[in-house]
Amino acid sequence: MMPRRIRGPLVLTLALMALFVVGLVVAGLFVRSIVASSFNNAESVRVARILVAGVVRRQLDEETGIRGYEADRNRILLEPYYEGRAGLPRSRSRLARVLERLRMDDALAVLQDAGRTNRRWLEEVALPLLAPKPGPPSLELRGKTLVDHFRADMASIEMLLARREASSDARAQRAVLLVGFFAFGVAAAVIVAALLFTIQQYRLSMRLEQERGKAEAERRRSAEIRAAYEAEKRIAETLQGAFVQNVLPKPAMLRLGATYLPAADEGKIGGDWYDAFELPGDRVLLAIGDVAGHGIDAAVAMNATRQLVMSCALIDPRPGPVLERVNAELLRNQSPLVTAMAALVHAGTREFDYAVAGHPPAVLWEPGRGARFLEVGSVPLGVLGSAVYRTHRVRSMPGALLVLYTDGAIEHSRDAVAGEELLLAAVESAAQASPANIATAIRSRIFDERKAADDVAILTVRFAERPEGRAAFFERGSQTTVATGTRTGRA
Amino acid sequence: MNESKTIETLRLAGELEISRKREIRDALALSENARAVLLDLSDVTYADSTALTELLRFCAAAQGADMPIAILIEAPQFLRLVQYAGLATAFRIFQDRGDALHYLSECAGT
Repeated sequence: MMPRRIRGPLVLTLALMALFVVGLVVAGLFVRSIVASSFNNAESVRVARILVAGVVRRQLDEETGIRGYEADRNRILLEPYYEGRAGLPRSRSRLARVLERLRMDDALAVLQDAGRTNRRWLEEVALPLLAPKPGPPSLELRGKTLVDHFRADMASIEMLLARREASSDARAQRAVLLVGFFAFGVAAAVIVAALLFTIQQYRLSMRLEQERGKAEAERRRSAEIRAAYEAEKRIAETLQGAFVQNVLPKPAMLRLGATYLPAADEGKIGGDWYDAFELPGDRVLLAIGDVAGHGIDAAVAMNATRQLVMSCALIDPRPGPVLERVNAELLRNQSPLVTAMAALVHAGTREFDYAVAGHPPAVLWEPGRGARFLEVGSVPLGVLGSAVYRTHRVRSMPGALLVLYTDGAIEHSRDAVAGEELLLAAVESAAQASPANIATAIRSRIFDERKAADDVAILTVRFAERPEGRAAFFERGSQTTVATGTRTGRA
Repeated sequence: MNESKTIETLRLAGELEISRKREIRDALALSENARAVLLDLSDVTYADSTALTELLRFCAAAQGADMPIAILIEAPQFLRLVQYAGLATAFRIFQDRGDALHYLSECAGT
């Protein structure tokens, strides 16, 4: 769960801390060894001094014994001499070992010298004095000289030991100081480590907080966008629905059919519409159109344009003037661009007039002549104030089929030429099969149950086979003048 | 020579759709000394309603400013769309570049 770019610094901190701990342990061992060696040293020096004192005492015993005997010639007085002579070598060798351990070569040399002096004293002074015949009186002086030399040696060793003791004390002091420093260092290190860790922890939590905040903001934003999109889609669908729910009129001698297929992507539901309403004199006005764009704006503009077409048709139903009036009104209102076709169908004479504004041309199928496209028109509505929309008149024949549609019906493949061929074929087969709703039949032949990428609206008008057959398709419907569209897409 | 300089050529290619709206708008800009414009759409194969609207508004604006305008189109399927949109009735459409330039130089010359 932890973001990767936070893991790096954390690992680094842990590694540093591990290194630190290892350093502390090494330093601790070092300090410990220094302290231990300094205490060992002090102990050895103390032992050496005791041994020096022992050596001096034994030598003194020897001399005392010899002197007593010399004065009194009493053998009992020689007892200390023998004791000292027996103990001295052992004491001396013990001292030598300790001095070796202390690596005091200078003191060892002096001790050897003292040993030699002692031997000379034994050989040159003690042994002659112990002889039955006493030696010359010069021996006494000689003995004193040698003993003094021996004592001077031992004093010199003593001095060296004292000096060593002093230096060893200083080392011990330094070691104690080092222990203090070490303890201080450990404490400082622990504090620094804790501080670093806390800072790291703080930064980590700050960053996690930031990440969480960012993710939250992202989530909220996308939720808002989705909600806005849903709302827009719903509104557009509602507005579009306003047109889809009406019912087609059922005029005499004509049969109307229509279908509206919303875009597969519901967000692209746009401004396609169609209308059909009856006018006096067996006339029906047909209108089909497409407002550029998608969503609410397109749906609103589409409804406004529908109302405009109806109003203008009530003033003058001829398609050209209807489109020109609507064009002027749209330009005034700065509406989005609208493509449209209007047709005025005269049911009795099977004639119809039409005008086109930027809209794909309608298809006319006639028995025996097949399907063909009608004329294209002028620019879409809402672009050019000077645009002129010509009214074309077509005289059709019984059984003819007029098909109006929006561009979704031919531009599904982006190739209008191929789309046209497909549409003509679909109209041809639907016209001959003559199903109940020709518009639905045409649509399903084009799309094969596929979903259309864009909206598709198709409006068809079939002329009666015979002029007198006013009820050829069905009995005359109500006289409602305005009724439009049917929801055939899902019927 | 002077005439050919004042004929400005604006070129668009490929499939024109809503996703390229800004690009189309940027391409449809005239310099100040242009006296006639050739809208070269010879490599355009498709235009959706948004793109057609942009083209239409540009042509209408040029015409409103008394600027001669010729549209060059070669792809038949695109020509069909342009015909549906009624451009052929309001503007001059050519399928040959020479014809278009000839038309424009005559307009600009007079």
